[in-house]
Order: sequence, then structure tokens, then C-alpha cells
Amino acid sequence: MIWLAWRQHRKQALFGLGVVALLALIMIPSGIAIHRSFVDTGYAACLDGFGRAEFVPLAQVNGCEQARDAFRNGQDSWQIFATLLIFLPLLAGMFWGAPLVARETEAGTHHLVWTQGVTRRRWALTKFGLVGLGVLFAAVAYSLLLTWWVKPLSRATGGGFGFLIFDLHGIVPIGYTLFALAVGILAGAVTRKVLPAMAVTLVGFVAVRALVEFAARPFFLAPKSRTFKVATTEIPNPASQDWLLSYSLHDSNGPDSNGGYAFCEPSVTCPDEGWFNFHVYQPGDRFWLFQYIETGIYLALTALLLYLAIRLVRRRIT
Amino acid sequence: MGTALSTALQTAGLGKRYGRTWALRDCSLELPPGRVAALVGPNGAGKTTLLHLAIGLLRPDEGGVEVMGHKPFDNPHLLGQVGFVAQDTPLYPDFSAAELIRMGAKLNRRWDTPLATERLTRLGIAQDRPVRKLSGGQRAQVALALALAKRPRLLLLDEPVASLDPLARREFMQALMGGVTEEGMTVMFSSHLLDDLERVCDYLIVLKEGNVRVKGDVEELVAAHNLLIGRAGEPVAIPGVAEVVRETHSGKQASLLVRTEGPVEHPEWTVRDVTLEDLVLAYLSVPARQEVAA
Repeated sequence: MIWLAWRQHRKQALFGLGVVALLALIMIPSGIAIHRSFVDTGYAACLDGFGRAEFVPLAQVNGCEQARDAFRNGQDSWQIFATLLIFLPLLAGMFWGAPLVARETEAGTHHLVWTQGVTRRRWALTKFGLVGLGVLFAAVAYSLLLTWWVKPLSRATGGGFGFLIFDLHGIVPIGYTLFALAVGILAGAVTRKVLPAMAVTLVGFVAVRALVEFAARPFFLAPKSRTFKVATTEIPNPASQDWLLSYSLHDSNGPDSNGGYAFCEPSVTCPDEGWFNFHVYQPGDRFWLFQYIETGIYLALTALLLYLAIRLVRRRIT
Repeated sequence: MGTALSTALQTAGLGKRYGRTWALRDCSLELPPGRVAALVGPNGAGKTTLLHLAIGLLRPDEGGVEVMGHKPFDNPHLLGQVGFVAQDTPLYPDFSAAELIRMGAKLNRRWDTPLATERLTRLGIAQDRPVRKLSGGQRAQVALALALAKRPRLLLLDEPVASLDPLARREFMQALMGGVTEEGMTVMFSSHLLDDLERVCDYLIVLKEGNVRVKGDVEELVAAHNLLIGRAGEPVAIPGVAEVVRETHSGKQASLLVRTEGPVEHPEWTVRDVTLEDLVLAYLSVPARQEVAA
């Protein structure tokens, strides 16, 4: 059975290896350049200088602005490239997952292989398991690569919790990729045709990802809140990696209906009129906890979808 | 237990439905071991459904099916002893015949690689080329070789020759018969083609609209049916006739295909023998029995 799985999927395995190699070819040189620029512009040292305090002097933040802009200006195109990478797991779902059952049922070869001396359960477990293992290796490889590559961009843009940046590094890409594979396999077992299965995989994966991203992740844990004056000499530490969920301006009568985020050094032009900032946020030190929670959600979904796919293979597909 | 078994395949009240439509219903039959049975019926009669129930690809919705005394669904022990050639003989197109034989060796406890290899060598079929490059007839031969390499006690084939040209069809049936005499196994194959049936099979099952219309030993069936030719008119009771299967008229002449229960002797009717083909066509041309009764 292992021989058969390898014989059927070796081309896909080589293709996957090729994609990872191509990615490495692009990302290792560009990553080195980004890391170097992060140090050379002085922004890395600047961020290090903020330490771990919740508030840092405004003057110190302003002093880093030049270095920050110098670093950020060079990296715009890379940020667009990084955004494209969030769709990488879809490749596993559409090209490895969707055809796994559907290509067999479409060609009728399931009647050949399911009438040999192995149960459909064993067929499914071996195939899903081996393809899953291959996908896992690819996912681990690109997660490691991305985590290293995106680190300066992540620190320069407010931390690993940043929109889409969270999705690119740590362990969540592994969860996404295995989930995409499972969506593909189940879609194939339901539609029993390769092309519809690929379409369902695309829609299903994007829908679940968007749902978790916008409706679930901000609430994994109850967010914290804090206030600080508009006329201030200290602002929240830009190196804290906090994830700002909402912000508004208040005075003693309540929130300003326009919302907003403002601060300035107290002076004649910036008198203290009682205005303060109200921030709701997830603290940056929850980053790994959130990574574990989100990965856990996707791994649980993966297990559920694969269980359903095995049930379909054993009971329903003819 | 092999010799003690009185049936290779047995079904009782077997039924399978897709949604609300019954593909097969109330199907009861016993296939004695060592027979070569033809499963005949038009498209949609339930032939594939019956074969899929027998090989365990499908689970019955009603009644039961037993192959050599065991339920076939999800039964890998039985799968190792039953050969199956699916409709259109599906094979992995990028595998060579040698790789398919190797696959069979990996997936089956009992597997005769030399048997498959020698068969294909004898037929002059290349075993190192992807099977998609072989002709339809050659692919069917590869599929048959794979089924025979299990050394099955029961071999099931679903329309194995339907898509083949007449020459390839004949070669396939010859190869099949050769395989059967070598192994002494039970065979059931479905077909909607009637030619050559009489030469190949010794047991017949006719399916129509999901029901068994007639079944039995070919020689006994042929002996138990006659064609009566006489004048058209009021139906009369004819001694020895158990059932009029089909009645056709041309002008003043009537011909009746009848099932007999003894010698038919009537001065107004000429009695003729029937061929297997006549018999099958007669059973297929009339409505199912239940509808007649209603």
C-alpha cells in the first residue's frame, strides 16, 4: 500500500519539493537583504532600545522615525509578495488534496484498487497519512523559512499580531496547510470530480480562513484596555508587539464620536484639555498563545474533515 | 470448507436503491460453484448493482448477499478470494502492466505474479509501457490478468467486452475461458450482448428493471422452453405448457414462446426448439412479472 501511494504521488512530491526549493531560492537572498537593511538603517537597534516597558518616551519614538521610514521604504514590494504567500496552503489543498479521492472516482480506478485485498479504511489511512506527511514536511519547511524571513517586517510594522503577518509565521501556516489538504480530500470525496473539488476547496478554505481571522481570533482571549493622555511625554511601546483592536479619544464627558488616536508633547500648541486615548488590545506577549489556539483549531478541523472523508470512502462512495 | 459449499454466490430478497429508485429489488438467486454464469439484461437492469453488491463495493439496503458463505461488504478476507473486472476495465493509465502486477502483489495476500506475467507475455502485450498506450482490447486483457492473478474462487466481470471490437471481444472471451478451465473457478459476467453466450456460459440470469426474470442452467432452460407456431385466435389451454412467456402475431400466424412442464402435443401447434438467444429476448421483451400479475 505504501509502495502504491508513493508510486501514485511521487510526481506531486517532486513538484512540492520544487515549490519549496523555488521559495527558498527567492526568500533566502531577499531575507538576508531585509535583515541587513533592518540592521543597517538602525531601526533594529532603535526597537531594541525601547526595551519591554509598556510606555516609552515620545521623544525616543520620534527619534527613531527616520530609521523606521528608511527601512520601511525599501520593503513595500516585499510586503505585497508576503501577502501572496498566505495563499500557498491552497496549493496543497487544490493539487494534492482535491484529486486524492476524486481522480480515482472520476476514472473509475477506485473499483480496481478497492477490490484488492486491503480495506478501504486502510487505503484511505495510508494515502491520507502519506500525502499528509509530505504536506507536513513542506509546510514545516516554508513556515521556518517564512518565520525567519518576515521577522524584520513584522517588528517594523507593529509586531507579529499584525493583520496577515500573524498568518505568515510561527506554526499557524502548518495548521492552514494541513487544513487545506483535508478540505481538498473531503471535497473530492463529496463531489467525486477533480475540478469541482478544486473549486470547493478554494471557496471553503478562504471562507473558513476569513471567518477565523475576523470573527474568532480577536476574541480568543478577552482583550485588555488602557488609557493615556493626548498631551503626553510617553506613548505605548512600539516594540511591544501589541495588537490594537480598537482606539478612540475620550474626554471627561465620554468618547469622541469620531474616534481617533492622537498624542503630542505638552506645549502651548498642545495644552492638556483632559483628552485621553482609549485602547482595546491584545498584548504582544500573547502571540504564541494565540498561535497555539489558532493552530489547534485548524488541526481539530483537519481531523474532523479527514474522519468524514474516511467515512465517505468506507460507506458511501461506489 | 471449499468443497462443502453448495453456492458460490447466494442472494435472498436482495435490494439496493439510489434515492427513491430501486436499482435492484427482491433479487434471490444461488450460483452453484464451478459455473460460468451470464448476467444478462438491458442497460439499467441492475447488473452492475448486483455485481457491486457481490464484490462488496455496495452495502445492501434490503435482503442479503453471501459470497462463499460470507457477507462481502468491507470484508478484506473475501476480497482476496474474489476477482473483479470493473466496467470499462479501469487501470491507472500511467502505470505499466508490470507495475499494476506489482501493485496487486503488494495489496493481496494471495497473488500469482508468474500467472499474470506469463498470460500477458503469451498475448504479446508489452508490460513495460504505460497502459494508456495499449489498445482497449489489451487493457481489458491486463485487467483480466490482474483479476486472475488473485487465483480467485469467484471471478466477477462487469460488461468486460462491451467497449471492444468483435475481434478483441472474441480474444477476451477465449482468454477468459482459458483462465476458467485452468482454475476451475466460478465466474459471473454481465453482458447486454447476446452473441456467443451459448458457447461461453452454462448458467443464465436474466435481469430486467431490477428484478430477476429467469435464472437457471442453460441446458435445462433451453430444454424447458419451446416455440409454438399455429393459427392466431382465442387462447386455448395447451397441455404441457406452464407459461406463455411471449406471444407474437404476424398475420394469421401466432408464435408462442412457452415454458413447458412436459411434452407439448397439440394438433394445431407446431413445436420447435428455442435457442438461448430466443429465450433471453422473449423474457426481456415482456413486462416484468409483477406488472403482468397486476
